[in-house]
Amino acid sequence: MINQNTGLIAHLMRRAGFGARREQLDGLEAAGYEASVEQLLNPGEETRMEDYLVRRFHPELSSMMGPQSPGENWLYRMATTSSPLHEKMALFWHGIFATGYAKVIHGKALSDQIRMFRQRGMGSFRDLLLGLAQDPAMIIWLDNQDNHKDAINENFGRELLELFTMGVGSYGEDDIKECARAFTGWTIANREYMELRSQRDSDWPYGRISWHFQFNQEDHDDREKEFLGQRGCFNGEDVIDIICQQETTARFIARHLYSYFVADEPPVPEWPYNPPKDPEAIEQLVRVYFDSNYDISAVLRELFNSDFFRSQECWGTKVKSPVELVAGVLRLTGEFDRPRREILDRFSQASFMGQVLNNPPSVEGWHRGTDWLDTGTLVERVNFASQQIGDSDKPGVQAMIDRIGADIVRIGTPEGLIDACLDQIGAVIVDEKTRKVLVDFVAQSPKESNDDGRKQIAEALQMVASTQEFQRS
Amino acid sequence: MTTKTETNFLEYRLTMGMTTMEGRGFYYPVDTAIGNNGNLYVISRSKEETTRGIRVTICTVDSEYFGNFGGYGEGDGQFVWPCCGATDSQGRFYLTDESLCRITVFDEVGNPLTHWGAKGSGDGELDTPSGIAFDSKDHCYVSDTYNNRVQKFTVSGRFLAVLGDQVLNLPWGVTSDSDDNVYVADWGNDRIQKFSPEGKHLAQFGESGDGDGQFRRPSSVAVDCDGYIYVADWGNERVQVLGPHGEFVAKLRGEATLSPWAENFLNINIEEAAARATANLDMQIDYPVKTPHEESAHIEKLFWSPVSVKLDKDGLLYVTETSRHRIQVYGRTTLDSTE
Repeated sequence: MINQNTGLIAHLMRRAGFGARREQLDGLEAAGYEASVEQLLNPGEETRMEDYLVRRFHPELSSMMGPQSPGENWLYRMATTSSPLHEKMALFWHGIFATGYAKVIHGKALSDQIRMFRQRGMGSFRDLLLGLAQDPAMIIWLDNQDNHKDAINENFGRELLELFTMGVGSYGEDDIKECARAFTGWTIANREYMELRSQRDSDWPYGRISWHFQFNQEDHDDREKEFLGQRGCFNGEDVIDIICQQETTARFIARHLYSYFVADEPPVPEWPYNPPKDPEAIEQLVRVYFDSNYDISAVLRELFNSDFFRSQECWGTKVKSPVELVAGVLRLTGEFDRPRREILDRFSQASFMGQVLNNPPSVEGWHRGTDWLDTGTLVERVNFASQQIGDSDKPGVQAMIDRIGADIVRIGTPEGLIDACLDQIGAVIVDEKTRKVLVDFVAQSPKESNDDGRKQIAEALQMVASTQEFQRS
Repeated sequence: MTTKTETNFLEYRLTMGMTTMEGRGFYYPVDTAIGNNGNLYVISRSKEETTRGIRVTICTVDSEYFGNFGGYGEGDGQFVWPCCGATDSQGRFYLTDESLCRITVFDEVGNPLTHWGAKGSGDGELDTPSGIAFDSKDHCYVSDTYNNRVQKFTVSGRFLAVLGDQVLNLPWGVTSDSDDNVYVADWGNDRIQKFSPEGKHLAQFGESGDGDGQFRRPSSVAVDCDGYIYVADWGNERVQVLGPHGEFVAKLRGEATLSPWAENFLNINIEEAAARATANLDMQIDYPVKTPHEESAHIEKLFWSPVSVKLDKDGLLYVTETSRHRIQVYGRTTLDSTE
């Protein structure tokens, strides 16, 4: 059975990462919970599958022209990184600042945006917002290239306030217009040519050219503005400063973090009408947001060390997103010990489950929780997990079988084998009903006389991966 | 157009190709082989989800287009992860397949003849074959990437010898000089290794870095009749030239212009040509990540993934660029123009 300490660390690694292999949990347990949180926040120099190696065998992941390329590249990183929280946070911001290929039609611009989330997503929220406002993919996604001094386009200004920072009800229509005015002239270089090629999905003649931010002073409205009760000749940076000062912004981000890491909140449009599940937790995070001068890592440290996160009632209550599920399975199986053609299949399998990286369904991103599950996606999820974990040719699966097999005499019983499998697969805790089904399965499929036990272990691991508990984090 | 390079050793001549998923053009080209008649065989790797882009294009340096052959699959004359090509003395074209772990042989117009090789780590077996080259005696050298060695075969695939066992790290491009010495782009070790035809280690050139004479994941190497060594310094997005003893001679960062096929495209697509004419495609900016890769992504004329360097019998240097789907051609600067 999984002990309390192991269960807590495993919970942390599932929520703040993509799960942990048993031998990794051993090391973290020895270090202690708080030290494990610090290691997630400050992992040191990252190790992962080297970009050069990925590009060598997948040339398209160098220029990122196609719609799948950024996602394949990102999945490699999620599956092999030693800094899982940074990827988890990039995924978090991608879900909030949702930007998609359907309109941007420039894979590298989308990949560059994720890189920016990776670089800024755990630092100052102000710096992150500034990066977002200057991000070429976001500029095209929300039409800020059409936001001119004499003819404003409100799209970016509106979503910055409504979906990205404050939420409906905490500002007025005039604030949206003033916000838009502050961002006039924030565009991309060579706008006409780049926009035309994107609209036509034109890779000719020599592939795509990377986009970059450009500020056009002559197209910027530098006259006085009144924004959220403050008056001045604000530009975009000033507006971001004012937004970051707002209590509503702090609550908005805190509620998002709570929903992502602790317990599902309803979709954002319902927030004005439904209070947070745990208002005290939100206020706790809000205080740290201001005390730390908007430092996201400080807020995360508070969250992971809080009672509301560590509580056993919190464990195993969230449905993994398709990408979390796929990345977690890939980390367990160790399939990508070198670049392989199967990366496209793995990316596609997350898509079949309802999550296409770099192409969310709308500017609102993905809905979470049980919204991931329907008849079709549930079948996809269970089949994927059981097929991958059931493939004993994969190095990570072999290693799990080896470890269980080495202890098989002591394990002895079907109950012992199931407990060992649950432990090896990342210290997964199942309820008694599930455990009985698993034990009965093992008891009814005894070891064949010519089998050294590996086949039985492999089948037991596959069954464990098929449980509903494995689908949760 | 002819312009001098940074050190006046090489001069830019022209650019070939453009990106097209099918037909006349290249799609993620990974290597160019040069036939005995001067025809070029350009290998398009394509991307994982677009298997119809996989092919070999036959063309000339004058942009004459003769068509494509081969395609995705595991049957005769098909390939999955095509990587590198070379021609033997009879004009047959040999292509490595990193996924199927085999060498496929075609006649000079692209009809499949045979294939040989199988996955494994024993003598004659291959794990992810990449670079391929012939010496003057038609010995075939294949970079056996994940076995970290180069293997020597006959033209029919009979195993002869192993080169570089235990000293190479994920080798890629391979070539031979006029004395049949073998040069290997020792990709994972950021250096070029030189062996005798019998496999004796003779020299190594370069080290990790981005300075003169340093490399970052070199992918291809060629040697001219004077012994100058041309290296596709792939990770540094440049080409370097070393002297016969490994001393630094020159570096190229790329100066592509419109190829005839690209000009043809823009002549037809007037609106796109007009928008292009207003754009500054050589803009100096502060990059979010200061790497050659990022710079090449923004400035179109620069090499972007210069994966292969090949020399023709006239000494022209062909630099195949995967991410820009084209080939830049350079020639040795004449004595007059260096004065």
